[in-house]
Amino acid sequence: MEEEEQKRVLDLVKELVLRLVSNSSSPEEESTIESEKALKYAMRILGSRMTPSISIDEASMAESIKRHLVNEGKSSDALTFADLHTKFSSKSGSGCIQNKWSVLYLLKVISEDRRKDKKSDSRVSSGFFASTVSGGLPVLVDESSCNSRKTLDKSRISNGNGGVLLISKDPENIRDIALRDFANLLKEESEIVEGCLVRDVLYVSQGIDGKYVKFDKNLDGYVLLDSIKVPKSMRIMVRKLCELGWLFKKVKAYVSESMDRSPSEDVGTVGQAFCAALQDELSEYYKLLAVLEVQSVNPIPMVSESTNSGSYLSLRRLLVWFAEPMVKMRLMAVLVDSFKALKGGAMAGAIHMHAQHGDPLVQEFMRRLLRRVCSPLFEMVRSWVLEGELDDIFSEFFVLGQPVKAESLWVEGYRLHSVMLPSFISSSLAQRILRTGKSINFLRVCCEDQGWADAASEAAAAVGTTTRRGGLVYGETDALEALVTEAAKRIDKHLMDVIYNRYKFKDHCMAIKRYLLLGQGDFVQYLMDIVGPELSEPANTISSFKLSGLLESAIRSSNAQYDDPDILDRLRVKMMQHGTGDRGWDVFSLEYDARVPLNTVFSESVMARYLKIFNFLWKLRRVEHALIGSWKTMKPNCISSHFLTKKDCPVKSQFDSTLRRCQVIWDEMNHFVSNLQYYIMFEVLEVSWSLFVEEMEAGEDLDDLLAAHEKYLRSIVEKSLLGERSQTLCKTLFVLLDLILRFRSHADRLYEGIYELQARTMESSLSIRGKNKSKPRSTKEATEFGSWAGGGRKALTQRAGEFLRNMGHELDRIANEYSSTLEGFIGQLPMQQHVDLKFLLFRLDFTEFYSRLRVST
Amino acid sequence: MDPEAFRNARESLELDFQTTNILETGLDRHTLSVLAAFCEKGLQSRVAALVKELRRESQTNPTTTPAAPTFP
Repeated sequence: MEEEEQKRVLDLVKELVLRLVSNSSSPEEESTIESEKALKYAMRILGSRMTPSISIDEASMAESIKRHLVNEGKSSDALTFADLHTKFSSKSGSGCIQNKWSVLYLLKVISEDRRKDKKSDSRVSSGFFASTVSGGLPVLVDESSCNSRKTLDKSRISNGNGGVLLISKDPENIRDIALRDFANLLKEESEIVEGCLVRDVLYVSQGIDGKYVKFDKNLDGYVLLDSIKVPKSMRIMVRKLCELGWLFKKVKAYVSESMDRSPSEDVGTVGQAFCAALQDELSEYYKLLAVLEVQSVNPIPMVSESTNSGSYLSLRRLLVWFAEPMVKMRLMAVLVDSFKALKGGAMAGAIHMHAQHGDPLVQEFMRRLLRRVCSPLFEMVRSWVLEGELDDIFSEFFVLGQPVKAESLWVEGYRLHSVMLPSFISSSLAQRILRTGKSINFLRVCCEDQGWADAASEAAAAVGTTTRRGGLVYGETDALEALVTEAAKRIDKHLMDVIYNRYKFKDHCMAIKRYLLLGQGDFVQYLMDIVGPELSEPANTISSFKLSGLLESAIRSSNAQYDDPDILDRLRVKMMQHGTGDRGWDVFSLEYDARVPLNTVFSESVMARYLKIFNFLWKLRRVEHALIGSWKTMKPNCISSHFLTKKDCPVKSQFDSTLRRCQVIWDEMNHFVSNLQYYIMFEVLEVSWSLFVEEMEAGEDLDDLLAAHEKYLRSIVEKSLLGERSQTLCKTLFVLLDLILRFRSHADRLYEGIYELQARTMESSLSIRGKNKSKPRSTKEATEFGSWAGGGRKALTQRAGEFLRNMGHELDRIANEYSSTLEGFIGQLPMQQHVDLKFLLFRLDFTEFYSRLRVST
Repeated sequence: MDPEAFRNARESLELDFQTTNILETGLDRHTLSVLAAFCEKGLQSRVAALVKELRRESQTNPTTTPAAPTFP
């Protein structure tokens, strides 16, 4: 195989030699020896393995040929060539030339050689041409390499007309001479070679002072020493290049400062990640510098090996090389500058703001940084959402935890730290993140539940992100959102399950409604009956233990006894703070102990409002109870109807009218109280409750539940006139209720008096028969009556008339006061904002009795 | 050799030849085809040197005249 190849090459060489040498029309026999010689020579050349180092690039080769043609002023040829070349390079398939580049190369070299031969004097142009081929500007030839050329030129110029001839013959030469002059000029102007400056710039861009370029503290920048004489353009260029060094120094200082700080200081994990990312960028930069440094030593690779050019890197080339690192370094310096005071989420947010940039380079760079910077942040989110752990020693996370009691864990335990919230996380998402972690913590601390772990891992599996670390990166906000949504959904569901099923939230709500809001009628009735006498005593003499016992018996004697003992256990008597002169009624209340975790919903403030409602309802009940109690005595009976016979006519009619008056007032009051009671029960409590139940069932998380409960409570407070806005109305209402109680005591006194009189009449009639039997009376009235006893029938009737008159006056006063207050109350009602209060008005003034009354007055 | 390949080769050579003329290398078709064969073997730079040397050789020889560009 090898041999065959050799043979083929030999054949080709023979052919070539024959073509090139013996083609020259010399006689066959003569040339054979010569061609023999030439063949040997050819083989030697072929064996010599001279291979110039040039890169294989067909397009650039073609380009250089074209440019050369144009330079020679043969632009039509150049066009033809371009056309030919496109055709040539588009050829493919079997049979055509594979190594197209080499053919081009060969042709070019041959053509170059030929031109050299043709114009024996245009040796310079070959150098020129070579540099064109290398793809750059003409190289400024340095002294050593062009010495020979110079001498040649000089001799020619001294020749006189030869030079003129040459110039006219070859337009290239003018440019060439100009270039050379320029090179000389440069040489004169600058003391140092460009290469040294390049090396210095490379040093400086690593933050190290070079030999000629040093850091100037006054100017705060790197400058070329004044003592060195270089052209101004070069000085400016060096200055431009040295900006990179200055920026680098800044970034480097920040990184090393942050890295060196002890971990206890507040760099934070995000800050550390930022530094690491910067470090990575810097190491990329170092790589570039290393490559450049190598390049600065290497010469430019040339197509033709003959020319000796300067080092590859010039200041201008460096300028190009440094363009991109300069942009990056500037960005880094800007970031470093603006982030000195920032940390954590705030830092990530700030970088994110920088990433909103139109330049894809900047965008990409920032994204890369962010991916690194955000990883600790996302890790925090992940562990918070899936494990409820807040491992944030440097307080960088946008959720802040603070140690609180278990019952306020949900409300106050954690909050969003808006400064640390990076802008790429929306506030609704942040809320959801906060709530999910909070739910986990709530479950763990308050509910002592472990099931959330399953829910969390289930959520993670559903999203596809495993629960391990580093699953989330910046830029995948969707993934984050999906994870949070899934986790929130499951954990909230689990939490609601726990609250409803294990802690029976609904049952407790129901219990509070039944006992604290007096929904359980028979229980309230019994309780009122039992504790009534006790509560009439002054507040400071009442023992709450006794009341607890009474509560117990009320429970046992009502249907409440069938309730869950757990619920009944939580029901307690509470005595409020009492002042002097308070009765038991003023301080008595019931209390419900919700316990952890339900006291998150039934917090102290909520319970205080329940207490307020309870007091109101309790008072209303008491008034109703009192009215019903007085009805028992006021019912028409034989005593009242047989009291005083016809003989005492004026007194009898007075008696009848007083009783009648009493009945009328009672009826009016009863109308008011029962309608108010109805309104409270049906328009307020039950309506609010059914709305609450609906919302409770629709609620997906604890926040919804809290909101629903809050709404429920607020609507009760507002509708039952206990709110802020209806304070005056409420006061009027309480005055009314007090009046009713006063009426009750008067009515009681009236009837007591009547019974006493009746008894006296019987007694006196008996005493007429000679049997004086007066009982000792403890009450004042009784002694009064006692004194009448001896007075006889007439005196008795007189006394009765006087008593009735007094009572009548009293009643009148109460009635007047009551009707005026009620009028005020009804007058104020329509001014209330709440729509449902209208129903109360309709109900109270159903026959328009009051409104007509008001119109008439 | 199938006709397609043959045609291809011919066309390529023709294109090459025209390029040669533009560049004024003074090579004829046959020489060009030989050179192309060299190139296919990756010997382009050596062959370039060889051509140069051979030309100089023939130039120094008084009997030989430099190969003028041959136009078809």
